[in-house]
Amino acid sequence: MSEQILAALARWGEPALFIIAAVASVGIPLPVMLLLIIAGSLAAQGALNFWMAVFVAAAGSAAGDQIGYAIGRWGGRALNARLARLLGGAEKIERLDAQARRWGGAGVFFSRWLVTPLGPWVNLASGAAEYSWLRFTFWDTIGEGIFAGLYLGLGLAFSDRVQEIGSIFGDVTWGLLGILAAAVIGWKLLSGKPRAAETAAKPSAAQSV
Amino acid sequence: MQLRRQTLILIAALCIALAATFFFGFRAGKTARHVHWKNEAIRGWMTVPFVAHTRHVHEEMLFRAIGVTPDRHDRRPLRDIARAEHKTTRQLIDQLEGAIAANENKAP
Repeated sequence: MSEQILAALARWGEPALFIIAAVASVGIPLPVMLLLIIAGSLAAQGALNFWMAVFVAAAGSAAGDQIGYAIGRWGGRALNARLARLLGGAEKIERLDAQARRWGGAGVFFSRWLVTPLGPWVNLASGAAEYSWLRFTFWDTIGEGIFAGLYLGLGLAFSDRVQEIGSIFGDVTWGLLGILAAAVIGWKLLSGKPRAAETAAKPSAAQSV
Repeated sequence: MQLRRQTLILIAALCIALAATFFFGFRAGKTARHVHWKNEAIRGWMTVPFVAHTRHVHEEMLFRAIGVTPDRHDRRPLRDIARAEHKTTRQLIDQLEGAIAANENKAP
């Protein structure tokens, strides 16, 4: 799969870059980071125009993100209603919606270029939470521009070491995701105890009344 | 009881997250240490000019080694060239590796 995608990039250049970036942004697991680094290397060899490649990759990713957002916005509510029944009620979903509205901009921006595996999920969540489309598009475009510029730039700078650079940055991204997950779980562990004690105390207080 | 179970699940998830962070960090560091001297492996998706660029050799020499007319705008991946030349991709890669090795031995 990965070989075919990279071969398509080597052969067709920008059109392949646009399509692959868009498909990956919808949530299909494709090696976009490696693809951008290789596109940077192709730019260093003169087979692609660097700035055109940055534009095409960012536009493709942003187009895919819009599809994800639309699915979340117009398909997500029905899905949410079903999930709400299964997973603890509408109150929980409302709380998630409120969090998405509060952290939406930062979540969209950082999931574009820093913790990229979260990107497709953030698109769906932003749409389902009815996060402002204008704000989503604003942070999305900036984030995707940074993502494309960063990895194409890496490919340009290390044009004869693309596979190793792709492997290093792929691992760094997953490592960052691990740190983020550890921080969230750690925070939940630390903040969960008092809340649990509070909820445990509530029934006994009600009983005493 | 429920609280204790939830805490244990969270602790297990925390351990997995930390182990994953350590694993990926270690692997990234290991790759970074070898990046300077390791040659880029030739893959079927690469074009001949791409191989020439990553291995610092002339593309004409590589084209000639695989019996294809040199053309710096030839963007066919090696797998497509192999198919056109009725060879396997592995055979083509071996031919390229052989030509690069011979070129390195020739150089002073």
